[in-house]
Amino acid sequence: MVELKEKISEVFRDTNLVICWREGFDPIHATPHFVREESQIEDSIFNLFCVHNLCVYLPFLKEKAGILVKGCDSRTLIQFLQEGLIRREDVVIIGISCRGIIDVGKLMREVLYEAVTGVSIDGDSIKVKTVSREREFQLTSLLADKCKICRYPNPLIYDHLIGEPVESKVSWDMAYEDIREFEKKPLEDRLSFWTKEIGKCIRCYACRNACPLCICRDRCIAETRDPHFTSQSVELKEKFMFHFIHAVHLAGRCVECGECERACPVGIPVKMMKKKINLEMKELFDYETGINVDDKPPMYTFKAEEEKIKEHEL
Amino acid sequence: MRVGVFICHCGNNIAGTVDVQKVAEEMRKIPGVAYSTTYVYTCSEPGQNEIIEAIKKYKLDRVVVAACSPRMHELTFRKAVEKASLNRYFLEMANIREHISWVGDDKELNTQKAIDVVRMAVAKVMNNKPLFSSSFKLTKRVLVIGGGVAGMQAALDCADGGLDVVLVEKSPSIGGMMARLDKTFPTIDCSICILGPKMVDVAQNERIKLYAYSEIEDVKGYIGNYEVTIRKKATYVDWNKCTGCGLCMEKCPSKNAYDYFNFGIAPTRAINIPFPQAIPKKAKIDPNYCRYFLKGKCGVCAKICPTKAIDYDMKDELVKEDVGAIIVATGYSLMGVENFPEYGGGKYKDVITGIQYERILNASGPTGGHIKRPSDGKEPETVVFISCCGSRDKSVGIPYCSNFCCMYIAKQAILTKDHLPKSQSYVFYMDIRAPGKGYDEFTRRAQEEYGVRYIRGRVSKIYPRGEKLIVRGADTLLGIQVEVEADLVVLANAVISNPDAAKLAEKLRISYDTFGFYVESHPKLRPVETNTSGVFLAGACQGPKDIPASVSQGSAAASKVLALFSKDVLESDPQVSYVNPNVCVGCMKCVKTCPFGAIKEEELRDGRKVAKVIETVCAGCGICTSTCPCGAIQLQHFTDNQILAEVYAFASGK
Amino acid sequence: MPQESKKELRIIGFLCNWCSYGGADTAGVSRFKQPTDLRIVRVPCSGRVDPLFVVRAFLSGADGVLVSGCHPRDCHYSDGNYYARRRLEMLKRLLPFFGIDDRRFHYTWVSASEGERWQRVVTEFTKVIHGLGPLKIEEGEEIG
Repeated sequence: MVELKEKISEVFRDTNLVICWREGFDPIHATPHFVREESQIEDSIFNLFCVHNLCVYLPFLKEKAGILVKGCDSRTLIQFLQEGLIRREDVVIIGISCRGIIDVGKLMREVLYEAVTGVSIDGDSIKVKTVSREREFQLTSLLADKCKICRYPNPLIYDHLIGEPVESKVSWDMAYEDIREFEKKPLEDRLSFWTKEIGKCIRCYACRNACPLCICRDRCIAETRDPHFTSQSVELKEKFMFHFIHAVHLAGRCVECGECERACPVGIPVKMMKKKINLEMKELFDYETGINVDDKPPMYTFKAEEEKIKEHEL
Repeated sequence: MRVGVFICHCGNNIAGTVDVQKVAEEMRKIPGVAYSTTYVYTCSEPGQNEIIEAIKKYKLDRVVVAACSPRMHELTFRKAVEKASLNRYFLEMANIREHISWVGDDKELNTQKAIDVVRMAVAKVMNNKPLFSSSFKLTKRVLVIGGGVAGMQAALDCADGGLDVVLVEKSPSIGGMMARLDKTFPTIDCSICILGPKMVDVAQNERIKLYAYSEIEDVKGYIGNYEVTIRKKATYVDWNKCTGCGLCMEKCPSKNAYDYFNFGIAPTRAINIPFPQAIPKKAKIDPNYCRYFLKGKCGVCAKICPTKAIDYDMKDELVKEDVGAIIVATGYSLMGVENFPEYGGGKYKDVITGIQYERILNASGPTGGHIKRPSDGKEPETVVFISCCGSRDKSVGIPYCSNFCCMYIAKQAILTKDHLPKSQSYVFYMDIRAPGKGYDEFTRRAQEEYGVRYIRGRVSKIYPRGEKLIVRGADTLLGIQVEVEADLVVLANAVISNPDAAKLAEKLRISYDTFGFYVESHPKLRPVETNTSGVFLAGACQGPKDIPASVSQGSAAASKVLALFSKDVLESDPQVSYVNPNVCVGCMKCVKTCPFGAIKEEELRDGRKVAKVIETVCAGCGICTSTCPCGAIQLQHFTDNQILAEVYAFASGK
Repeated sequence: MPQESKKELRIIGFLCNWCSYGGADTAGVSRFKQPTDLRIVRVPCSGRVDPLFVVRAFLSGADGVLVSGCHPRDCHYSDGNYYARRRLEMLKRLLPFFGIDDRRFHYTWVSASEGERWQRVVTEFTKVIHGLGPLKIEEGEEIG
């Protein structure tokens, strides 16, 4: 923690703004923290509850900023740079090697939604104190699903690095096994799966708002009549339309930070759709989002001869 | 909104298989449709007047004409609604002829389909907006790329018409392929004798600015306003000083340089003037062979040059020219002899290509016009010509005919007999293609008067026996195997596009086919236009063609440019993209995907960065609109809402 | 699901103005007979076809969607069909993930002179869609 604050101070002297985390309303909720004054540095933290991808703030920031990123978050920065949404010289990146974060939802369910008064972590176990009792869990059982298949625990781009490098044993195939398994289901089952899942959608747009790559912000075509791609009707088809818009607009762009899924209040597996597209992007264009600054997002370029796209016969 | 719907019977063409009355009736049920009728020939003058009258009488503000393809009559009806003081973009057409009445027999289903399609057009027109063209100025100068006969003709015609011409030629002299020919068919005119004066005309014409040994580096801009960057390649000789005396060439000790002009049939010097009639007649050093460049010492030419023109430190130079139109006349290339190993190409010295033989026949060629075979300099007694080497051969990827080989084979066979009366020529051919004026007579003359033996069949093998080459093949008319003992074999090698054709096409943003030949706007009716307005084609860059066809195209392209430049301002097509700066989030994905460079970043007064379309550059493809995530950039007349309206109207059917 | 033999299904086609729309015209001029199910929307270029138009058509009731543009290299706007190819391929691979049979969506290239090819594309595609029957995306129903 001393190292973290030292780094933030160092960067703050250069930028006058550092985006990091601080403790929220209880010990299991961190919250984004905009350090604009020296005195605020003291509040900054990094722990298992720093779940947010802070990069979401960057594209529309009008000033130079320092930012804290976990391995997964760092891919967002690379994607931004590929798309020209930020300039490298406008960010000072403090990277943190990460062992995974806690899925707060899982934890809340375990403690039956009781108010948490204290947390202590010891090696691989975590002690959680609520108003009525104290319980101990294995860390792995509360880890966010995305962390279990994390291939990039270390930041891929940074100016300063905190923490010892973490090794990942997850391969590409392991990371996308869920998609391949799902695709083994018959078509009807897939449709009924999504009919049930997307049927739950209340069009709150939390997934979209949490997404760092959803750069349209208030001009999202899901909420306008010009162009009129979808209406505000609560019909299933319009809900489908919204999720297709989200997925198609993120084709070859989603860095799988999982913020959409974390933000969804009704538990729709929104990230799955994007993972499916990413799988295809890899297969078609040997492209993986947010890895190389010099890559070109595949939907905004082409080759005259596409090696992997064959003409479809009827 | 008051939409008028006009359903055309097209005589019986539509009404025969579509119940037009029922379609008209159905349209009346749509809210916003104020008037719906049918007419026997809507495109006729009374038909158009009917529309005009109805617009006035029923105060219509949108019009749908359901008739033939909009590719046929959209302009006709746009002009008609304009006569009734309606903006021409308030018209939509529904194609109920080509897409319905002509392709389906079931009247009931056809009628239902027509109802849907017209309803979709009504839905679209309700989302149409008035559009207005703007006018812009143009630079009345023309760039001609390629100084072969087509390019020269185009340049001269443009200059005659009073235009300033920039002529860019990539080799050191203009003249192209024609300058290499000995005689031309079917008149046996001396090629350089008819081309030479034209080349001099080009050189002396004050309106033509010639860049020889130069290439197109970059093309920016749009019709009327192109900015072209030209790379003047280093010649290592200051052409302002060079007088073309040829002393350097005589004294140059590097005598084995590849002779591009003579297609390598004999070597040339490292510093050379390609041929006696070259224009400009200036020397140029080939650094791949020059001893000074290879070994760092020699300098004979620099010492000998009377005007001190040699400059070993010369670098490529980039110059910019502003022009309003571009004529592409870059010509063609030929398959090299080494591509025909089955005929011993590249292995036997006496197997050569047609163009190499042309150089041997030519009085200014390496043999001074005496027919001597390359291996030992002997005069050949038996010459075998093989047609369609590469051409019409799918196995080498050239399914097309090279157009003029049949004719030059006949010519070369005739010339062989003229030069060497005792000689005998044989021609192995697939078909004799001689459709031009006086062409068939010419090939007959070769056979009947000059005794050239034509054998219909393919050659299977060529192998040496002593000093001779044994040509084995089939005579398919007699059904026998034949064997000819030849002294010299001439291959009619296939015409191919230039190796850099695709690269140039991409700079010019014009289309090219699988073979690298440039694609005209319409194969019959727009043969010298391209799909990029302001860029025209002439000569063999569009496909193999002979001299008269190339010259005609050169003149045709020039006349297109002159017609274009007869206007003082050009009108832009308003069907271009438009950015709503209030919606644009400035992600600039449209900028990245625009094939025309028509979108740029603009900073608003509040510091926000948004995309902006340069209307005159935008070609109206709409790639940007399907790229934009927030719908901020909309292709006018094909906006998201216009297309979505059609989709929704489609869905409301049934 | 039983089908009346004459019953049409809902098929929509997005055709580029320069090649495929012209190809469909050529088929018409040559009187190449085709099934009647298809309704055509003219767009300037296949690159103008937003994959979301295709999705919208399906969600609004289309049983089949066809997109046709100029052959690669022949695009009137030089690159439009190249972008289309990538985006539409992405969509074609995404649709079955949601349970929509990818055979319901076909994209292809037809030039202005290929009237016969157009006839074949329409005929075959219509046959494929009739083989699959109507597409149902409804709450409670589970038919792909």
